[in-house]
Amino acid sequence: MIEVEALSRQYGSRLAVNEVSFRVEPGEIVGFLGPNGAGKTTTLRMLTGYLAPTSGDIRIDGIDAVTDSIRARERLGYMPEGVPLYREMRVFEYLRHRGALKRVPNLTEAVDRALELAGVEDVRTRIVGQLSKGYRQRVGLAEALIADPPILILDEPTSGLDPNQVRQFRELVRSFGGEKTVLLSTHILSEVEAVCDRVIIIREGEKVADLRPGDGEISLEEVFAELTTSGVTEDAS
Amino acid sequence: MKGAWVVSKRELGSFFVSPLAYVVLTSWLVWNGVVFWVLTQFYARNAVSSGAATPLSGFFGGSALFFIPLLVFVPVLTMRLIAGEKQSGTIEALLTAPVSEASVIFGKYGASLVIWCVLWLPTLIYAWIMSQHGSVDWGATASSYLGIFCLGAYFMAVGLLMSVLAPTQIIAAVLAFVVLGVLFAVGIGEFVLDGTAREVCAYLSMWGHMQSFAKGVVDTRYLVFDFSVAALAVGLSIGALKARRHG
Repeated sequence: MIEVEALSRQYGSRLAVNEVSFRVEPGEIVGFLGPNGAGKTTTLRMLTGYLAPTSGDIRIDGIDAVTDSIRARERLGYMPEGVPLYREMRVFEYLRHRGALKRVPNLTEAVDRALELAGVEDVRTRIVGQLSKGYRQRVGLAEALIADPPILILDEPTSGLDPNQVRQFRELVRSFGGEKTVLLSTHILSEVEAVCDRVIIIREGEKVADLRPGDGEISLEEVFAELTTSGVTEDAS
Repeated sequence: MKGAWVVSKRELGSFFVSPLAYVVLTSWLVWNGVVFWVLTQFYARNAVSSGAATPLSGFFGGSALFFIPLLVFVPVLTMRLIAGEKQSGTIEALLTAPVSEASVIFGKYGASLVIWCVLWLPTLIYAWIMSQHGSVDWGATASSYLGIFCLGAYFMAVGLLMSVLAPTQIIAAVLAFVVLGVLFAVGIGEFVLDGTAREVCAYLSMWGHMQSFAKGVVDTRYLVFDFSVAALAVGLSIGALKARRHG
């Protein structure tokens, strides 16, 4: 379970995330949606302890993620945006390293299981830097799954995947439904409709919607367009 | 602290599969081979004027030839420790794993000390060569290596701190070069200043440090200094890494 209360983050004088509050129930799959620069990555980085919030509270399975960060991080599997990996390592070496860092018991079994779940068994002895982007993305997913965490936080997990891989990824995430709590950020609306129980939309650092896809008459695309463009002048950058 | 061990192991593994490791180790040995040859030639020709000094004591800090390469090699070896992770983005994965900043820094620092020792290990062959052609003061040689280890603890900690502070590896290397260069230059004050300033410079002098150890004198003042600087730099590195979350 993820509980976020009045979370804010400032970079210098710029307010990147402003008083965002939401909950993700155990076993729920929630999409975190917003235009580029809305504060999605900043929010996820605060949840995972990479950034400290300027104010607000975060609870991961009831553990205060700000004051008891390491214990909260033990509950999380995180796939950062762009999936940074040690390029010089072999896939299984990388997973063993990350598993050891997360104090996973039975490392060999855990690595095999993560490789299988993410569908990257065929590249287990390949060097990470020589893999295609789609494979690297899935190695990142295997890494997030290595400790079998109850909560997964995935930042744009399908960017760089081909349509078949996207489909496999969605099936995998759906298979976690009810077992793992998943929060995934994306700007692909069809992805949210395909896998998420619920969607949280943020714009310019503020939460503007918390809804279930399929609720009401209008499509998610229309909701998104309305919520994220109305009253906003075209961003020159 | 198991986290520190895991971090260390990966750092060393990555270093020794990188081309950088072999470029550094090779050029280091070429440089020191030339220096050792020059020193043996010098002492062979000037046996009288060199007095009690031996090629080995000259090699271990008796000349600027010892320090000049270190000012370059140390920054190159330490720049990647944290700044490399920042540049590749892997720092995000590292700092969101359930390990403390202290474990990360201790792991990186431990790895850098191992690399330092690997750098010096092949120079033992010079002592062996000398022992084949004359007598070697093994006590002085042992204290020279102790001095080198302590100097390494100090240098690598400074390089590590610069790597934590700098956004990129190049900047980390330049900062470490400048800081070590200034610390080296302070030692020269021993020869040009008077009074208290001279005393302070002598105490901070890397030169005096290594000359003392090369003679077989284990001066605890230098040990205290080295480990104080190392502890301070490692502590600041942990602090800076923690502060990064608020940046």
